[in-house]
Amino acid sequence: MSAELQSKDILAKAEALRNSLSSGFRDEIVKSLYTEAEHIAKRAVKTAAEKRYDLDQKIDRLVTSPWTGLPIMLLLLTVIIWLTVSGANVVSGWIAVVLFGIGDYGRALFNQIGMPWWITGFIWDGVYLGLAWVVSVMLPPMMIFFPAFTFMEDLGYLPRVAFNLDWLFKKSGAHGKQSLTMAMGFGCNAAGVIATRVIDSPRERLIAILTNNFVPCNGRFPTLIMLATVFVAAAFPPALTSFIAAGTVVGVVLIGVFFTFLASWILSKTLLKGEASAFTLELPPYRRPNVSRILYTSIIDRTIFVLWRAMQTAAPAGAIIWIMANVSIGDSNLARATADWLNPFGLLLGLDGVILLAYIIAIPANEIVVPTMMMVYMGAGMMINGPTSNNEIFDLLVNGNGWTMLTAVNLMLFALLHNPCATTIMTIYKETKSYKWATLSVVMTLGTAFVVTFLTASFARLMGWA
Amino acid sequence: MTNTKTVLPTEHCETCPAFTQLEQMGIKVGDFDRVIALAGNPNTGKSTLFNALTGLKQHTGNWPGKTVTRAEGGFEFNKIRYKLVDLPGTYSLLSASQDEEVARDFILFGQPSCTIVVTDATSLERNLNLVMQVMEITEHVVVAVNLMDEAKRKGLEVDARSLSRDLGIPAIPITARTGDGIHTLLGAVADVIEGTIEIKPLRINGTPEFQKAVNELVPMIEQVAPGIPNARWLAIRLLDGDARVQNALTSGELADIVSRQQRVDIQFSKKMSVEGRQ
Amino acid sequence: MNFTYWSVVIAVLIIATFLPRVGLIAVYKTYRTAKDREQVEDALKHLLDREQQGRHASPVSIAGTLDIPLGKATQLIENMETQELLETRGNELHLTSKGERWALHVIRAHRLWERFLADEARMPLEQVHNEAQRREHSLTELELNDLDAALGHPTRDPHGDPIPTREGTLPKVEGMPITAWQTDRPVRIVHLEDEPALAYEQILAAGLRLGQVIRILEKTQNRYLLSDGETEYKLAPAVAANVHVAALPESEMLKREAIPLVELAHDQRGEIVMLDDAVQGFTRRRFLDLGLTPGTVIYPELQNFFGDPRAYRIRGTLIALRKDQAAQIWVKSI
Repeated sequence: MSAELQSKDILAKAEALRNSLSSGFRDEIVKSLYTEAEHIAKRAVKTAAEKRYDLDQKIDRLVTSPWTGLPIMLLLLTVIIWLTVSGANVVSGWIAVVLFGIGDYGRALFNQIGMPWWITGFIWDGVYLGLAWVVSVMLPPMMIFFPAFTFMEDLGYLPRVAFNLDWLFKKSGAHGKQSLTMAMGFGCNAAGVIATRVIDSPRERLIAILTNNFVPCNGRFPTLIMLATVFVAAAFPPALTSFIAAGTVVGVVLIGVFFTFLASWILSKTLLKGEASAFTLELPPYRRPNVSRILYTSIIDRTIFVLWRAMQTAAPAGAIIWIMANVSIGDSNLARATADWLNPFGLLLGLDGVILLAYIIAIPANEIVVPTMMMVYMGAGMMINGPTSNNEIFDLLVNGNGWTMLTAVNLMLFALLHNPCATTIMTIYKETKSYKWATLSVVMTLGTAFVVTFLTASFARLMGWA
Repeated sequence: MTNTKTVLPTEHCETCPAFTQLEQMGIKVGDFDRVIALAGNPNTGKSTLFNALTGLKQHTGNWPGKTVTRAEGGFEFNKIRYKLVDLPGTYSLLSASQDEEVARDFILFGQPSCTIVVTDATSLERNLNLVMQVMEITEHVVVAVNLMDEAKRKGLEVDARSLSRDLGIPAIPITARTGDGIHTLLGAVADVIEGTIEIKPLRINGTPEFQKAVNELVPMIEQVAPGIPNARWLAIRLLDGDARVQNALTSGELADIVSRQQRVDIQFSKKMSVEGRQ
Repeated sequence: MNFTYWSVVIAVLIIATFLPRVGLIAVYKTYRTAKDREQVEDALKHLLDREQQGRHASPVSIAGTLDIPLGKATQLIENMETQELLETRGNELHLTSKGERWALHVIRAHRLWERFLADEARMPLEQVHNEAQRREHSLTELELNDLDAALGHPTRDPHGDPIPTREGTLPKVEGMPITAWQTDRPVRIVHLEDEPALAYEQILAAGLRLGQVIRILEKTQNRYLLSDGETEYKLAPAVAANVHVAALPESEMLKREAIPLVELAHDQRGEIVMLDDAVQGFTRRRFLDLGLTPGTVIYPELQNFFGDPRAYRIRGTLIALRKDQAAQIWVKSI
């Protein structure tokens, strides 16, 4: 066709012309654009004073300086987590009392009207209890964490973090903007994976995608917070509890950051070989965050969204656990039997069978790990309401189910390092369009989790601590 | 989720029509008459303007690259329904990173009725670079000079009329956060689309040898795709060796644009919106 | 039992050997074809190289360059002759136009790969050549055009050699005898004329090399005094006329009076002179888009606690750049 011929002619002509132009013609185009822009801007803008970036500059000096930059970063992280831990602790209790109270009432009501035991059990001890657990465990930390985090995000602090940490990323062969995607990962790893689009280089983007899971997301924070409060902080005077717990969670987050750097470094030396690519990062001026917008974003867009997702998996998970707990095999039931079967492997990792079972059931969403665990521990049929205070939880785990400090520490490590949830895996597949990378993301994290927990367990046993 | 509160004009000016009415339609953009694209550098308050117009609550985090995909929303202004497409923030449309490609492709192939380029009044020089690149692709451009409040705080006096004169297109000072100037902006958008005001977009010619090369290519492109509105820009991209434009040329996609444009615009925009949501 | 076992083993072996595409024989054949192609292409490159120097290749030179026995080389030449890639005239080998086109394709592939490895994969410059050597034989014409487009149609490889165009023309480096060069601005040697031999020997004896950057220190009727900054070279005017030079690219000139942005002190302001030629492709685009165009005022504003990256104020915006990027932006302090 003649049109086909024509377009080929144009391409040939364009190439010939391109070769006839001096090599810097592209630079010239941009330069003339900017020169013109400069003229127009100069004509349109009158500057009253020369000092334009005064306050921003002072703040920037402070948050990036050698002496104050790193401490401020750590301090902010600690403060946010401390607020979350101490606030959530109080609210969680109230919510648990209310929700479990409703459960009691519902069960009583069902019994009164003569429902068969299995309907009552399935609905109130299965589905409802799963939901109640997820809401009471997740809602409070999210309601505090998300607004605090969104505030930092809207203020413009995140790019400063990227600026401060870039050197470490460069040494790991990764991109400084990876810290932006990690920050998003605190909210939700799937969101973090999508945020990696800000990284232009495909190699470095893949690194950011594969390592994002080492940042504990909001679904995993409750697990960490609970363990830090119940086990670590319990050993200290009550006045210090929330500080110790927050410190412990910060410590776990830092371990996650360490593994991010380590994994990035290993990846860029092996599978994703290459040098660090060009890095340009805009540090935008600070903007005064809009409080109502922050509340809207963090509560509607984030909290409700994440909670809804968790509830969707919690309801069926609760049902499954109830069924497993009520299908009897000999003296035992299916849940117990499965947990017993997994137990030797669990013990090898310093965990136990129930924890592993909980993680298998929780593959769709990490949020339901603690609830699942609790429900299996509390056992079959005779399910009473969940423990509403830290002492009750401690009692259930340690005296009832043989937990030690090692179990708690290793569970925190496992929660930090284990495989991404199903949503995140799907997102990784969508973003990379490759089964290979999605699979690798699972194998890599799960492998790390197994190896690390095995090592700590062996070490602790060798030293006679556990 | 649909928010239908009516925002009354917050300012008075001689040039504004007396009865401007803005109705936010959120994400319910079933039927619409016109498509408007929202382009701009990162951190210029594009998303804020998007939210102000559509009533949606898109999050506006302050870090570069926050919006990585397009967002869409709708509003009604003076009885005409608009679909608003928020493009990723970019410094330029030349370097073909993922976000720039999204923005560029929509302005070129999505054929919006008008493109609003949101600029930061406190760093106009940097922002105008993008404005001029968009002006090369389409003549239907309105510049929104945003963050006027911040400029004032920093002691800057921005003369939008001077901008408008130099660029040859409307430049409207706004403060998206408070809603100042938004009605004037929409009025200008309508004027541009309806052709009731004269636009004479500024053209940057570059070096004489470059200009000569462009002039040689333009007639050839116009021959292949008669009636194409931005032959000049396409010529520049071909000279540059832009693979995407080369493919569009050989595959006949460019010629398609023209014929599509001559058909009903809305049909096409609908299709784009479906494709874009995948 | 035993019989079944062995028959299965034999069947598996047969299948493994003869399976199309993945069988041993097929794999070996593919390998041979690839090896053959590589050899032919290396020979073509050698022939073109010689022709560009105004000389011709011989069976001996091919054997030497490809590091194969003379017998093999003769076989290869016969083979290439039947494919109409070259013609034998006496002991001289001449490329046919088909052969030349192919040779240029390989050179184009090589130099585009070099560009890719240097710009996109950011491989150190000294490794680029060897890696490109490995990759140059694998692309078809179409794939090469895609690579070319993806890289933004570069005209030179990272070493400054021209890349053949799609049509197969190799842009020539224009030079002039140094005697025609008037100013004392530094120049690059682009060609050493080897006729007459006596003059050529003198040039070589003096120690001048292709690609060297020199400057005319003194020029009298009897001699030319040249310097590369360290050594001085004396040549008779008649001999000097055989040294062909070209002006340094403008970038080289500008670089001499500028400092890289990394070296700009914290309280200094700079004006961008140019972006280094080593910045190409996507990175260069990005830099330009950010407004790093010549003449732009730039100054460092923030330093992070590791000293890298630094943030610079450019056209009203604060932008962080790593050290290695800032090293490729040349500025003069103002």
